[in-house]
Amino acid sequence: MTVGVVVDMMLGLALVALSLRVVTGGSLFRDIVLFILFGLLVALSWARLGAPDLALAEAAIGAGLTGALMLMAYRSIGADTEERPVRRRPGVALVVAVLTGSLVAVIGLAALGIERVPDAAGDAVLEALPGTGLGNAVTGVLLVFRGLDTMLEMAVLLVALLGAWTVLGDARPGRVHRVDRRTPLVGSLLTVVAPITLLVAVHLLLAGTDAPGGAFQACAVLTGCGVLMVLTGTLRPTAVAGFATRLLVVAGLAAFVLVGAGAGFVGHAPMTLTGTWAVYLIETAMMLSIALTMTLLFARARGLRGEGS
Amino acid sequence: MSTEVVYVLAASAVFGAGVYGLIVANHLMRKLLALNVMSSAVFVTMLTVAGTTPEGPDPVAQALVLTGIVIAVAATAFALALLVRLVQETGLVSLRAKDDDGA
Repeated sequence: MTVGVVVDMMLGLALVALSLRVVTGGSLFRDIVLFILFGLLVALSWARLGAPDLALAEAAIGAGLTGALMLMAYRSIGADTEERPVRRRPGVALVVAVLTGSLVAVIGLAALGIERVPDAAGDAVLEALPGTGLGNAVTGVLLVFRGLDTMLEMAVLLVALLGAWTVLGDARPGRVHRVDRRTPLVGSLLTVVAPITLLVAVHLLLAGTDAPGGAFQACAVLTGCGVLMVLTGTLRPTAVAGFATRLLVVAGLAAFVLVGAGAGFVGHAPMTLTGTWAVYLIETAMMLSIALTMTLLFARARGLRGEGS
Repeated sequence: MSTEVVYVLAASAVFGAGVYGLIVANHLMRKLLALNVMSSAVFVTMLTVAGTTPEGPDPVAQALVLTGIVIAVAATAFALALLVRLVQETGLVSLRAKDDDGA
């Protein structure tokens, strides 16, 4: 047994222990924080499994963003809604849980034992990748080979935002407790960290064609910047979506459709990307769209405006 | 015991914990936490059973999981918006009707 497997076992045990605490604990606030920790450990597992793209996305989106959304909602529904102890007997649930868990284990272990077929999709991707001008196979799948999936994913995000806007009703945007920016720590946090996050986001986007990174990781970092600016009051939530907001929110989906349709007009098969420029264009539009969508979902607002305006 | 086997077993236990939480929890936000825990377990299982290429885990599976992570957070955000509205309308954080509380 190598050191690596021992690390894996420790990580696996920590994941199981944390997940049990998250679903059974008594204090919701503490369990949301533990859930963020759980997400970070899952990110470590992705790194151990050799998937750095997923590790980046899990740490930023799965742990960070989900945690921020949960904490925001926790505060707006109020701490006085703390749950009462469960009165029903958990025996049946435990049996169901053990049975479903065992089923997953059986399916997983059986699947691990299957010989990999020689012409699996993943191998075909690696074979065809040099022809796309991209060096990162995951980006290749997301934008070139299974671009339709990613396009529809943008549609799902749009629907989620529209749904949240509908549910929001006539309510005023959630009031954000603002931090005094004159305090030295918060002030320097904004002036130093915000530009750096922007730089990191652009770097992740550009690096994503050849190295771990891409639009999703970049948008998560950019969303972090947006969340910071909402929390410090630099961006204020508004109740009306302006024209620029509407345009940016659909930009990712629109870029996909327009580039795809354009390829059809100039003689290629419809929905093909005709070059690396198309990948960059779509990824940039996606990054801006997702980051704005997520920041709006976080602030529970229809729009954002700068403090001065 | 290989790395993949360890993670499949851990993910199964985590999935079970998620199912348990989903059934037992009263508070809707804790049910959401349980759902997110379950989705993480599904993602880990998906990637490990997809097998590996010479350059690491199957890129198609990685892209699918990446899409899944983003969809999961979008669905969670929508669910939280529903929850906040529910609390505003009824003051309840669970799906039980008010009459059931006294029973």
